[in-house]
Amino acid sequence: MHAFSELIIGDVFLAPFISYAVTALVIILALRPILRLCRFDKLFSHPAVAELSLYVTILGLLTVAF
Amino acid sequence: MGAWAFGIRIWLAVVVALLASFWLELEAPSSAAVTVAILAVPTRGQALDKAVYRSIATLIGVTASLAITGIFSQTRDLLLAALAGWTGLCVYAAGLMDGTRAYAAVLSGYTVALIAIQQLDTPEHVFEGGMARGAAIAVGIVAIAIVNDVLAAPDNHPQLASRLAALHGRVRDYANAMFQDVASDTIAAAGLLRDIAALHPDLTSLASESANGTVRGAAARGTAVALVAAVSAARALKALPLTADTGMAARDLALRDAQVRDGLTALGTGTRPRRAWRTPLYRSHEIAAAAGIRAAACIALAAVFLVWAGWPTAEFSLSLVVVVIGLGATTPSPNGFTVIAFVVAPIAAALAGTLEFVVLNGVNEFALLALALAPFVIGTAVLSTRSNPVLASLGRLSLVFMLVIFAPSNPPAYDPQSFLFTSLFLCVGIALLLAAQMLIPTESSERRQNWILTSARRDFERVLSRRDRGLAPEEAMFRDATRIAQIPASATNPRDSAVLAEALSYFDRAAAIRLARAQEVVS
Repeated sequence: MHAFSELIIGDVFLAPFISYAVTALVIILALRPILRLCRFDKLFSHPAVAELSLYVTILGLLTVAF
Repeated sequence: MGAWAFGIRIWLAVVVALLASFWLELEAPSSAAVTVAILAVPTRGQALDKAVYRSIATLIGVTASLAITGIFSQTRDLLLAALAGWTGLCVYAAGLMDGTRAYAAVLSGYTVALIAIQQLDTPEHVFEGGMARGAAIAVGIVAIAIVNDVLAAPDNHPQLASRLAALHGRVRDYANAMFQDVASDTIAAAGLLRDIAALHPDLTSLASESANGTVRGAAARGTAVALVAAVSAARALKALPLTADTGMAARDLALRDAQVRDGLTALGTGTRPRRAWRTPLYRSHEIAAAAGIRAAACIALAAVFLVWAGWPTAEFSLSLVVVVIGLGATTPSPNGFTVIAFVVAPIAAALAGTLEFVVLNGVNEFALLALALAPFVIGTAVLSTRSNPVLASLGRLSLVFMLVIFAPSNPPAYDPQSFLFTSLFLCVGIALLLAAQMLIPTESSERRQNWILTSARRDFERVLSRRDRGLAPEEAMFRDATRIAQIPASATNPRDSAVLAEALSYFDRAAAIRLARAQEVVS
């Protein structure tokens, strides 16, 4: 078990999940140029579902790791 | 078939948003459902684009609510004046943008009404109200994003490619056509430029669609700019006398044609186009400022009336007045939008009443709520996809208003008094706005034409004196095309044709000078 660190902005506590979700979104946006170079759109029949799965994976990894 | 799939997606997203909000015990679960209704656009990219701007605008709106309430919480009249001023400012900003950006600008305005005005008597709850709304909006956005992804909502780029290809065909036809008189040539060219410029919001929303979105967006923008340049080249070719050497002008037209084809291929395959052009947008500050002042005046009038009337839940009516003004400001005809909203309000109230007191009538199970919502949400969503703009607006607004009036909550309220008050004040608010808009006149189309022509002349003088901005010649042409697209004109009025002809003459001459200068630099 590890303690979740809460984000505190001006005495307002934000749930750790929000910081994970936003960080995962930033990571996936930063990954987009690399995904394009890997021809990610051509690898899957439904690239949107694949991208969503990638987001969920990154979110899960962040939650487990931090 | 596509429309029904869209309806089912929206219904599923509403159900998922409500389920998640109930499970998370959010204070404003109905805001999540309303968010889905507002983000109900047929393609995935547009929904994501709108979602991003909705989040940013909510953040700005909540901050503005806190500031306005913090400064004016002890002085009601000044607070209402600040609301009118802030909304006017946001409507002015919306007038300088288009598509989802304009929507974000007005949302920043009416978020203040939804948070600060609805908490008028309890300013200490503004922060909680803002957080509750923000959380519900986030849940709504996640719900529609997941449903659109999992159910493979269509992408926008194939539709955009087919529209660009159709415009390419029309530009070719225009280049080959021989018109009997100048007026019909002017109307044909202005119509083409108007239709190309109308794609601008879609060109900017491709980026959020997929990993390839930014590249496809660049290809689509390049194609649209090349189409405008092709219209300009065709006009230059036609302007030459029959005896002149047309070789250079014909080569320019062929080059533009090749650039359009390259752009369409890059858009289809998702590869980077050879030329990346921006699509700058022209917006008249005068028209935007007039719209902003009118919006502020309408809110002030409605607020004075409601304060004078002293009704118990007048703040709800006032906040709706601001919402309808805001949403109307993003449409070509704000007054027409209010009329549609006035028609939709009782229909939406009847739908919400039927759903709450006839279909559901006291049930507590979520599954029954989800099933009961299906025909109402799917029906209105399908209606919103109709090609008739009046029917489409009717569908879209019915969906939003129905969910606003129904306001699903956990546990469900089934309070007839609250339903009657909400419905009544919705209708009263929109009727008030309609009256205010009738009292405050809009500027005539002649005045709008004069403002736009004056700016065209001013910009042309800048071109002559080499003081024009650092845009590529083709990008400047696109900006000029978006200016022509805003000139209110009917095909039958000879004055309108003369105005269009003058605007097109500035467009042609500025394009020729800029291209000649660019070639000077190259050689």
